[in-house]
Amino acid sequence: MVSFRFALIGLLVLLAFFASLLAGGSSIAPSAILAALLHPHSSNDVATIVWQLRLPRVAIAAVVGAALATGGALLQGMLRNPLVDPYLTGVSAGAAAAIALAILAGVAAPLLPALGFIAGLLTAVIVAALARRGGGVDANRLILAGISISALFSAIVVFAIARSDSPDAAQSILAWLAGSMAGRGWSDLLFAMPYVLIGAGLAALAAPALDALRVGDIRARTVGVDVDRAQWLILAATSLLAAASVALAGMIGFIGLIVPHVARRLVGSRARLLIPASAMCGAALCALADAVARSIIAPSELPIGVLLAFIGVPAFLYLYLHQEQTA
Amino acid sequence: MIALDGVAIGVPGRTLVRGIHARIAAGEFLAVLGPNGVGKTTLLRAMCGIRPVLEGTIAVDGRALRSLSVAARARAIAFVTADDAMIESLRVRDVVAIGRYPHHPWWEWNPNPQDHEAVERALRAVQMTREAERLFTTLSSGERQRIWIAMGLAQATPVILLDEPTSHLDVRVAHEILALLRDLARDGRTVVCVLHDLNDAAAYADRLLLLGCERMLACDVPDRVLVPQLIEEAYGVGVLRVDTPQGPRVFTAVRGE
Repeated sequence: MVSFRFALIGLLVLLAFFASLLAGGSSIAPSAILAALLHPHSSNDVATIVWQLRLPRVAIAAVVGAALATGGALLQGMLRNPLVDPYLTGVSAGAAAAIALAILAGVAAPLLPALGFIAGLLTAVIVAALARRGGGVDANRLILAGISISALFSAIVVFAIARSDSPDAAQSILAWLAGSMAGRGWSDLLFAMPYVLIGAGLAALAAPALDALRVGDIRARTVGVDVDRAQWLILAATSLLAAASVALAGMIGFIGLIVPHVARRLVGSRARLLIPASAMCGAALCALADAVARSIIAPSELPIGVLLAFIGVPAFLYLYLHQEQTA
Repeated sequence: MIALDGVAIGVPGRTLVRGIHARIAAGEFLAVLGPNGVGKTTLLRAMCGIRPVLEGTIAVDGRALRSLSVAARARAIAFVTADDAMIESLRVRDVVAIGRYPHHPWWEWNPNPQDHEAVERALRAVQMTREAERLFTTLSSGERQRIWIAMGLAQATPVILLDEPTSHLDVRVAHEILALLRDLARDGRTVVCVLHDLNDAAAYADRLLLLGCERMLACDVPDRVLVPQLIEEAYGVGVLRVDTPQGPRVFTAVRGE
């Protein structure tokens, strides 16, 4: 049964990727897309569009979606709180504040993703330091620190927008806040991949302890979990995955919050199933959302963060409230 | 076998009990008794290694507890606590399977046939096989209690410590659980259990460890521990002892004005 559900999710991922490859400014037949995929070294226009424009974008969307959903599933499990997402680490708020100030100061656009990444990680370190208790992480302190620091940095972003004399600068800040993968390519993905892979590796190390953490720290310790180590691993994994996502696509909300809930309904809550299912569903949803964002008001693009909020909020409310009623 | 030599336990800034000496053999059921706040739970947590002792040593099968790795400790000692936990969307079977964690290296994510067998055996022991597929959140508090015990059993350790395993349970289920613990001891496990009901403890346990204010008052067979003088010293309340064919029983002696 579980294998069948994973096969179904895998099929959905492939369909979402293919649908995303179809979306774009020029209309290309599905057969031509397939042919271009099979012949990467072909020099025709379709191959160039597919390999240089659309495929990197689908890959970036998949990586961002998988990273955010994995981070969400890890953090929700560790904190025993279904309402947290990876941005609780402060990564997005820190990155947004740094990027807003950088845009205001006239820093060149190509430097912004790296700046956002570093600022996001530094903020995560501050939040983690505030959440530290004894040798481990205190769940309530983490939530309190994450929300407080995020509020502080959000105020800095608003300040930067308010102080911006140039409409272009304000527009650029807003574009980052809304999230987008426009103009991203293979080089951006190559920059982020090492951090995504390290984050995924840390997540794989911590995931087996996740079920035990969900029944409380005391029980987790008595079944042999090094709770402090597992908590730091999860926090480091989530921060790296979120920071890499922010560097690639700006602020994309709701994936880290909603997708673990969807995955839970499909494969249950056991971490060994939930984490891979969350990553796969996150990749599919983000790729699909990016395709819709590119198509719905073409040739303009709807910011993917806005689109996901429109779809995500009602979907999340339905899923969560329905689950409460059936529990 | 678990041995406590001159153990002192406490909470930050306060020593609760000093001078605990006890040797609990394989096949023995020891009940830990004492008034609220005296340090019973703290003692159990120290005995499973999740809380340090202030003085003395605790050893399991001749090896000092603090010399064991976290995983080795978890393969030697299970600890069942009654603390509640909010667990979204985990099935009963999944919760019990968490007890199998110390039997896996970190890279092994999937359960093996021994895990399935241990989980089934544990569910059978607490008579919850029929509820295995239910969501944990849908269980009553008594049923949850049984699942926590099953999780401890699935851990398949030679020593099992239980903190008030009969709280939330009705009389019949409480006695079934105590009988199960006695059977576990008869099968060769070391069972240490915090209980509040003195008569339940006398009926099922081989020995009773009675904690009083800052010291261990006794660790002996029920006949020598359920003595009105000792009980009054521990709890500050007079009791009437009645000797029955099943052993001693005590009743609180309530004095009116």
